[in-house]
Amino acid sequence: MRSVKRGLRSFVRHPLANLVVVLLLFVCLTFSLSMLAVKMAADSQVEEVKRSVGNYAELRVSLEHQMQVYQEQRGQDPAKRQAEARKMSEEELLEERAKILVPEQVTDDFSMRPEIISYDKVLEAVVVLPDITGPGVETLLSLRRRLSPGSAQASSSAGGSSFLFEGNTHGASASDFLRGAKRLVEGSLYTYQDYLNANPVVVVEKTLAEENGLRVGDAITARITGAEGRDSEMELTVIGIYETVEAESGGTGQDFQTFNPAGNKFYAPLSVVQELNSTPGYVELGSYYLDSADSSRTLSLAFQDMVSEGLVEGDKYELATDYSDFESISDPLLKVSRTSTIALAGALGACALIIVLAMFIIVGGRTRELGVLKAIGATDRQVLLQYAAEVLCVCLVAAVLAAGASTVVSQQLGDWLLRENTAAADQASQAQGPGDLPGGRTGIPALRNMEENLYKKGGRFSFSSSPTRQTAELDVIYRGILLVYGILILLGISLLGTAVPVVWINRLRPARVLAME
Amino acid sequence: MYEKEDLLEVRKVSKTFRSGSAEVKAVDEASFRAQKGEVTVILGPSGSGKTTLLYLIGSLERPDAGEINVFGEDICRPDADLVSYRRKRVGFVFQTFNLIPSLTALENVTLPMDLDGVPAGEQRRRAEELLAGMGIEGRLLRARASRLSGGEKQRVAIARALANDPDLILADEPTGNLDSATGRVVVDILTGLAKREGKCVIIVTHDEGMLRAADWAYQMRDGQLRGIEI
Repeated sequence: MRSVKRGLRSFVRHPLANLVVVLLLFVCLTFSLSMLAVKMAADSQVEEVKRSVGNYAELRVSLEHQMQVYQEQRGQDPAKRQAEARKMSEEELLEERAKILVPEQVTDDFSMRPEIISYDKVLEAVVVLPDITGPGVETLLSLRRRLSPGSAQASSSAGGSSFLFEGNTHGASASDFLRGAKRLVEGSLYTYQDYLNANPVVVVEKTLAEENGLRVGDAITARITGAEGRDSEMELTVIGIYETVEAESGGTGQDFQTFNPAGNKFYAPLSVVQELNSTPGYVELGSYYLDSADSSRTLSLAFQDMVSEGLVEGDKYELATDYSDFESISDPLLKVSRTSTIALAGALGACALIIVLAMFIIVGGRTRELGVLKAIGATDRQVLLQYAAEVLCVCLVAAVLAAGASTVVSQQLGDWLLRENTAAADQASQAQGPGDLPGGRTGIPALRNMEENLYKKGGRFSFSSSPTRQTAELDVIYRGILLVYGILILLGISLLGTAVPVVWINRLRPARVLAME
Repeated sequence: MYEKEDLLEVRKVSKTFRSGSAEVKAVDEASFRAQKGEVTVILGPSGSGKTTLLYLIGSLERPDAGEINVFGEDICRPDADLVSYRRKRVGFVFQTFNLIPSLTALENVTLPMDLDGVPAGEQRRRAEELLAGMGIEGRLLRARASRLSGGEKQRVAIARALANDPDLILADEPTGNLDSATGRVVVDILTGLAKREGKCVIIVTHDEGMLRAADWAYQMRDGQLRGIEI
């Protein structure tokens, strides 16, 4: 304790020399701590992105296949096609209708993968509701759907308005509700049990309900499309009313599947929508949430294996993921992490160099003092403790000042690094050309847009000005672990600084030192 | 009062320094005795080995051969407690004072006691007493050692040497950096320590004038020590 006190006294009594060392250390430690904070923030941000982006996949009919079906049907005479459809049996008609759908069994089988933590199935269909009046706006989807033989026939023959029905296994897991674009204001959403039991229940939009005088518990009639003369009706019970919280993103034409400006969209159990669409056992897509973005690649490989083994028709179905979104967001963050790690190592090296050189100069300049201390009976331990306390004081003062300064500069440094890396990534993307943009596998904009149009819940990572790029911000937050690292750095530097007097004291021969004039 | 008794016996002590292939025999089988209450002066020109002999006695160097007995205890034994010896049995006074410049006069004197674990209050009381005995009082107590004059520094250095009340005072050219008047004061202090307090004072110097203070005197030349008549 006395040695420590002597060290503290010595620290105070050598203000100029110590101030120089403190200032040099302060600069390097400020940079070190800032880089550490930036690195930790970037790493933590990547983990956060992993939880929101890159951990989602959809098994669905490929757009190429959809286009192929479309091209085939466009080449046919509609009247002839309708005549052929009239001659089809139920099985043939189902097969025809399901050309752009996925068998439920395939999506179910794929959901058994260990990487998948939650799973849903989705089907959208255009349904005629004879007693309900809507805004009369046809959705782009309805236009698309009408091109398929069964739907076209049904829609054209419908006496009432057509409405978009979205079915899944659980109302609460519908993308619009997860994203917050829709909010239940009355009644309840359908449950998994409703899906299993095919309970004819439906959730309707608030304005639509008001215009049609619908309330929870009321019944509405839906026409089930079928072959000529085989239409039937289903009575649906309104169990919930929702309101649209935010305008849907179809205004720019990117998100045509959910374009529904008037909110004339109904939500019902998947099994009910399948029945209304006359496509039992088929879904539009299987929606999968993975345990981590890291599993996205594994799952893609598994899908490729399934294709190569013939379990899935590779030319018909595709596994779409948002991993490219994850990459485009996380790449600048990972680069920031790497850059800050290198900078941290450099700054710590500079700290180490400064403290070692400073201690060499300080201890070297006080060699006679060391000799005197040993001559008057100080043990090596006493001398060492005294110098260790002095070094610790120097480092502590520098570290405290640096901690304060780094809280001010680390956010700016982090933002600057992120900006630089994002700009570099953008330049690289532009140099590569639009065909190689992270968002798409091909250069055809329509396909890229299709790939991005995933049925996933929204996250905090919104689209930036570039339609294909998502961005993330770097929030440098000081956490407890940073304090621990700071203390470890402080101790490490102090120990390194103390090593100089240790070596010096061991090698010191007081007689030689004291004999020097 | 104190009783005269043998305190120091240096017996056939040798020390050779090697630098590459060159060898310098700094001390060559030096032998002498010293008693409490006596001043022993070792005269010799620069490089004669007198400082080396003093450092051997003070255990700052280890001899290649021979024995150095202090109160009958050989300090050259490998298991000798040299730290305790330096703290309590011996006090050094150097030509260049060797005070710690960042400490005050008072702190320089309390330092050996602090290293020995003496309570702070006792350290201060004794340091003030010793410094008062050397004529260092008042504001000088709190003056940094670097601000003191040469004479003041040497008196502080003597007070520091006496801090733990050692029996043996080893003075290496104690007046070398002082003017003659101040040098005389320092010599008087050292003589007084021997005569009044029974310290065994060994002074190495090239100044023959110091012989007036000596009870015993030796001449050192090329590492060899021989007695001289006073």
